[in-house]
Amino acid sequence: MSVSTPGISRPAEATEAQAVTRVLQGTRLRYFAGAISVVGGLLLWELISRVLVANPLFLAAPSQILQAIYALTVSGEMQRHMAISGIEFVLGYVIASVIGIGLGFAMANSVTAKRALQPWISGLYATPTIALAPLFILWLGIGIWSKVLVVIFLVLFPVTINTEAGLRTTSERLIEMLRSFGATPRQIFFKVSLPSAMPFILAGLKLGIGRGLIGVVVAELFGSRAGLGRLISQSADAFNMPELFAGVVVLAFAGIVLTAGFTWLEGKLVPWTKD
Amino acid sequence: MAPKLAVANLGKTFGELAALQAISLAVERGEFISVVGPSGCGKTTFLRIVAGLEPASTGEVLLDGRAVHGPGGDRGFVFQTDSLLPWRTVFANAIIGREVAGQVGPAERQRTMELLKLVGLEGFEHYHPRQLSGGMRQRVNLARALAIDPEILLMDEPFSSLDAQTREIMQTELMRIWEEGRKTVLFVTHQIDEAVFLSDRVLVFARRPGRLRETVEIELPRPRALAIKRTPGFVRYVDHIWRLIEDDVRASVIEEKV
Repeated sequence: MSVSTPGISRPAEATEAQAVTRVLQGTRLRYFAGAISVVGGLLLWELISRVLVANPLFLAAPSQILQAIYALTVSGEMQRHMAISGIEFVLGYVIASVIGIGLGFAMANSVTAKRALQPWISGLYATPTIALAPLFILWLGIGIWSKVLVVIFLVLFPVTINTEAGLRTTSERLIEMLRSFGATPRQIFFKVSLPSAMPFILAGLKLGIGRGLIGVVVAELFGSRAGLGRLISQSADAFNMPELFAGVVVLAFAGIVLTAGFTWLEGKLVPWTKD
Repeated sequence: MAPKLAVANLGKTFGELAALQAISLAVERGEFISVVGPSGCGKTTFLRIVAGLEPASTGEVLLDGRAVHGPGGDRGFVFQTDSLLPWRTVFANAIIGREVAGQVGPAERQRTMELLKLVGLEGFEHYHPRQLSGGMRQRVNLARALAIDPEILLMDEPFSSLDAQTREIMQTELMRIWEEGRKTVLFVTHQIDEAVFLSDRVLVFARRPGRLRETVEIELPRPRALAIKRTPGFVRYVDHIWRLIEDDVRASVIEEKV
């Protein structure tokens, strides 16, 4: 075989160099693909709303939305809406997380608790509980607590279900390992079950972010004095597209930031699941 | 002197199935004992009963004259799969037995570091299991069992998931570590050559019901190097044990096919 002769190896090197270049270009494209896509999309949107639609009653251009956000921020109105929605979200989310993790623990540790709670959890998880928002407003008024309740209902079930699943799927091998050293059930819970359920619990909490934000906004649409949902609905009533989109953009941004923050937290808390 | 480990008329039934029947033996302090046999002969069940992970149906196990009624810090179990906690570092995994006993003082930490060095993991204390090879994870598994300074080391096919070369290296490593401390070891394996290479005595189990067929004394000089596996004396032991279990192995293979 002449594999090792210089005449053959040179083209091989050339191909290799080309391949390296291709890979580099590929990496560069991959690296910037997200940014290019976003900028391109925004430009297209700007173009469509200014040239094709050209009617601010139907569509606002990104530049107009930015202006609206700026104006709302200067007037302090944006901060007011954000604060109200933020309080509703945080209250509902924290309450739901605490109760959800607690219920998950109970269901994982007691067959009776699981049997008793399972039908309700499954049933209510599958129900579009957001449809209950008007009822909650009827009961609790148009203040923040009706929204908090909606958020609780939306966040509670994924957290409960994930916590229970995480605790229940703890590896028998790991439990047995600890048992071989004479560990107590309490030690097994804190040293094995709980840490191994952490990725599941965090996934449930992460799922809750999106659901909680939806809950806040939709509940506010049904009736409220302030909040981003209120901003969106009153802008829609006034055909003020830039302000409507301003509300949507802030919400989208909140969702992205919270989810990214959670992904970062997962990397810190459960790094063993990341590779 | 009383034996380190005494097993008297030990039996275990799972429903109708007699997994173990009338096992009796005495293990002296510092002895390295292997248990070999076809799959289904109850060798792992036997080890788990000694560990206290499973109750015996009949008979009893005495460690230093005291009856075994459950797991405890006087026995160190080395698992077939590494069973390391993925969120803990090598060091934190190795010291967990001490932690369970509430002993994590400077002396225990120092001892755990020494053991990690002994098993060849110096410098890897802060690594996580996912960063280690299979052989290295089994070294942590071994260090973890040694870290509680057990009266007896119970090893359940610890090298069976490793590739053939790594397995041979781990066998010599285990010999080196054992020569240092001369712990009493009960080692379950399905590799006959592994059992002969490591042991002072090999307990050959038979199946249906699981029982002790023969005890083979391995009179090969120590320390043993891997090359001993190619000597006629070594091969004779392997042949002898293989003939003892051959029919059983064939039967179990046919059964598994059905």
